[in-house]
Amino acid sequence: MILLLGLFAGGHLNADTPIAVEDLLKRSYLDDYHSNVVFGYRIVTETERYGARYSGNRLRCTNCHLGAGRRPDAIPLNVAGMYPKWRSKNGRRNGIGLRIRECFVYSLDGIMPPEDSPEVLAVAAYISYISHGEMIGETPEGRGVPTLPDTGYDPNPANGKAIYDTKCGACHGVNGQGIPGIPPLWGMESYNKGAGMANTKKAAGFIWANMPLGQERSLSHQDALDVSAYINMQIRPGDPRSSKLLKLFESVSGLVD
Amino acid sequence: MRYLRLLSEIIPWRPSLAGKLNPSTEAFAALIAALLVIPQGITFAYLAGLPPEYGIYTAIFVTLFASLFGSSSMLGGPNTAVAILIGITVAPFAGRGSPLYIDYVILLSLMVGLIQLLIWLARGGKYFQYLSPAAITGITTGVGIILILSSLDGIMGLSPSSTLFFFEKLYFMAADWRTLINPHSLAIGATTVFVGMVAKTRFPRFAILIAMAAGYLVGLVVLGIYTQVETEVELLGHIPFQALPLSYPKLDLEYLLVGLAMLPNAITIALIGLAQSMVIVKSLRSDTDQAINVDKEVFAQGIANSLAAFFSSFAGSGSFNRTAVNLSLGASTPLAGILSAFAVFILIAIFGPLLSFMPMPVIAGTLMLVGIGMIKPSEIARLFSWTGELLVFVTTLFSIIFLGLQTGLIIAFILSVILFVLSASKLEINITKGEESVEIRVEGHLFYASIDQLSSLLKRHRYDSVLLDLSVVSYMDLSATEAIARDLQKRDSDETSFVIVLKSQRLLDHFEQRLEGMPVQFIQQNE
Repeated sequence: MILLLGLFAGGHLNADTPIAVEDLLKRSYLDDYHSNVVFGYRIVTETERYGARYSGNRLRCTNCHLGAGRRPDAIPLNVAGMYPKWRSKNGRRNGIGLRIRECFVYSLDGIMPPEDSPEVLAVAAYISYISHGEMIGETPEGRGVPTLPDTGYDPNPANGKAIYDTKCGACHGVNGQGIPGIPPLWGMESYNKGAGMANTKKAAGFIWANMPLGQERSLSHQDALDVSAYINMQIRPGDPRSSKLLKLFESVSGLVD
Repeated sequence: MRYLRLLSEIIPWRPSLAGKLNPSTEAFAALIAALLVIPQGITFAYLAGLPPEYGIYTAIFVTLFASLFGSSSMLGGPNTAVAILIGITVAPFAGRGSPLYIDYVILLSLMVGLIQLLIWLARGGKYFQYLSPAAITGITTGVGIILILSSLDGIMGLSPSSTLFFFEKLYFMAADWRTLINPHSLAIGATTVFVGMVAKTRFPRFAILIAMAAGYLVGLVVLGIYTQVETEVELLGHIPFQALPLSYPKLDLEYLLVGLAMLPNAITIALIGLAQSMVIVKSLRSDTDQAINVDKEVFAQGIANSLAAFFSSFAGSGSFNRTAVNLSLGASTPLAGILSAFAVFILIAIFGPLLSFMPMPVIAGTLMLVGIGMIKPSEIARLFSWTGELLVFVTTLFSIIFLGLQTGLIIAFILSVILFVLSASKLEINITKGEESVEIRVEGHLFYASIDQLSSLLKRHRYDSVLLDLSVVSYMDLSATEAIARDLQKRDSDETSFVIVLKSQRLLDHFEQRLEGMPVQFIQQNE
């Protein structure tokens, strides 16, 4: 039985593509490496359940990293070959572990997990797994979000609201509160002011390339920028780096009610 | 008849079994026990390499089942030595805290429970009396030292790079303290330990709770001044708490193979869990007038650990410290344990969210406090009066620290049995030489291990008449009568006589049957 399984796994090792995560899910037994990859996949796709210990809002990783981090131009997660690298955000050379931990603090507005926590290790394993086929040190195709060309105009939140109400509000809610399966865009259950999405230009690139779902790239660059500005004007949790006491109060009061 | 007795031990506890039941006393004791077990559950889950909610589930379900099927006020649930052993056992097979690791822990708990149920079927409870007090002191002291060493990781803010505990850690920590030690973690952890030590002198029962509150407050201050991003102080995180966390052990071939590899450690865990519970039960039986059934307690431990596998819990055992507090608050029935499980449930449902910001250095600090509490200088000092016990203690302690907990525990068991056999096989022999005959009076157990002392003596007096006084010997095995028979054959029966003095009719029959036709006389001494 084990021998057979070994042959089975060996056959796959010679193949060009690794086993799809969806196929791994169907197996009754996974070894430590693959079970960790699957755990990472589950954290990414069902963050509120599998990453509950350290996440602080109702977002899932896959809400921004669309397709469980496998869609180009939607901040894909096949970036294992890019790390460790220096980032201006914290002025340090970041390993993939620190990068994941920061997602928990900012985008998930939660608690920073330790470097060796099972959650971080699992997401790191998942990131390596889906980075199969990328060149080490080379930027993968469609990494991050597209950088929109300068339209020559400032973002206009008033126009953004008009577009939001007609094109986004139906799913994300008029007050940005989201519905089950659709993430909240602002309010205390969304990403905080330290998150990458809180950057108007980045969010605009994401919106232009990926939203509304099914009609991607239908908005003009200026419209995407306006919607992004409108969304990021709204109330949301503070940046954990600047409003320390407030952040603490926010977190504690959020827990009690 | 035998099956009836087994059946009677399966039946859960019910209030009518208690002669006098004082529900309000039991309820108060249950509340305090719940307050104490929550931090312990979280800490021991950390020791076992599991997310914190598993410790809470263990505090609820293992405590509940152990009390429900038990007969005493002993509180079961998460236990230090068992948790450490679970961590050591499962770590080679999967990454700490990963889903596969949790599957293995659940499988291991079921194995531990089933082994304990086998011990119950074999009526094994009584054998735990062989574990000598010296070995138990050695084990608790050793576990205490392991706890102190492992708590250093969390207090200093190091990441627990391995589940194994070595003294090398102290060296590299001292050599590289500038880069390794996180000052914020150290401030929080050191406050916890310091407050705990001070509180212990004034409110010994609640010292750990006071220490945790102090550490939590310092943690809030540190997080208010700096941020978690800067300080990297590890926080406990949200506890995803479910009311009914059903789970089941996976029994695929691959899991069973790992289970087989874990079997030796599962046996060790089952034995050490039962040994601790039996020590508690023994002291409860001698100190209180509770209606305690030792075999029922063995069953309770076994069934609680088996069921743990179905409620996202890990194996546990009786807890010394919680049982002691329970007793001091007047609890005398399993009701306190049953209620405490519900109290944990309610407390976590209400106050659980507050635990999210509990700094891990506080948890590590409580580990150190538990470890310090396990080293009892007065008990160790008492052992210095007898070399045998001292030797068992020192050997157990050193093998636990240097050879690992499992090896140390096995050595402790073996040494205890050796010590018991040595003391049991020691014969007290008095020789009174008369004119023509020798009177040999024997005290002790006559069996294969002790018979040599007597037969060499008989050989020396082969040409004398012998009066062998066995009137105070209560136990004798086949090899003893055979040795006497061998000696009789070589004896000159014309010149000398051989008389055996006995008291019990049973031994007399035994001898007459074996020494049929030999030149020997018997004298039955009446009571």
